[in-house]
Amino acid sequence: MPRVERQAEVSWEGNLARGEGRISVPSGVFSGAAYSAATRIAQRPETTSPEELLAAAHAGCFAMSLAGELTRAGTPPERLDVTAQVTLDEVPGQGHLIVRSAISARARVPGADEASFSQVVADADAGCTFSALIRASAEVQVDATLEGGE
Amino acid sequence: MATERKASVTWQGDLMRGQGTVESVTSGVLGPLEVDWANRAEDAQGKTSPEELIAAAHAACFAMALSNVLAKEGHAPERLETSSTVTFVPGTGITKSALTVKGSVPGLDEDGFRQAAEEAKENCPVSGALKGNVELELDARLA
Repeated sequence: MPRVERQAEVSWEGNLARGEGRISVPSGVFSGAAYSAATRIAQRPETTSPEELLAAAHAGCFAMSLAGELTRAGTPPERLDVTAQVTLDEVPGQGHLIVRSAISARARVPGADEASFSQVVADADAGCTFSALIRASAEVQVDATLEGGE
Repeated sequence: MATERKASVTWQGDLMRGQGTVESVTSGVLGPLEVDWANRAEDAQGKTSPEELIAAAHAACFAMALSNVLAKEGHAPERLETSSTVTFVPGTGITKSALTVKGSVPGLDEDGFRQAAEEAKENCPVSGALKGNVELELDARLA
């Protein structure tokens, strides 16, 4: 398979504490999205952040991986609802680190049973390229539920 | 204190022909964003992908970290333009994030800027999450 490259661009003005950046992506789905240090760690943020973008990437990646594994198992999904929650924390002596991404998934899958679903979820986690990527440095939690499971 | 950011995705159908949507994120500024396999693994035709979002996260994290390194050294930047290009090899995974930066930094020479950029590349939290599994490249120049 050919390799695929995806790029994004950021402009930043000023220092960390009072500066502000803007994020754009070539697909055009967002452009000039603002972010700053203060909103990155705010409890009720009004701008996006690197961690929020990683959460979106992880949820998107896991959903595709789970759809792929369910299809491979002969039970393609009707609908998957996947949430990723990424945690940034200050670790003594190491500064700020991304310490965890917690995946929560609900799946509507005709014909799937609980036993086979558990195996498929494990395979989806192993096959999700982003899970594999961050597992070296952060904890990856996966909690998946089969809706109307038999 | 720990900071948490959440994103929610729905997916309908199988991998090859199905379609997903990043429905919402904590800040509320993004979404709905459509995702599908063809746009991810072949040509991007106006839809985002996990790799594009990782590139956005990395370029944003790197810019912030570099502004901090420079300001601590007494050279707060006027402007930094960063980019990340993330390489995805279907079947293998994400193999590389290549960072670039062009900086307007009063009073700093190329060597000093490159050193600061190298430090930011090593220490920004997204680099920390990617490092070890992914090749990180850096091309840093003064504007």
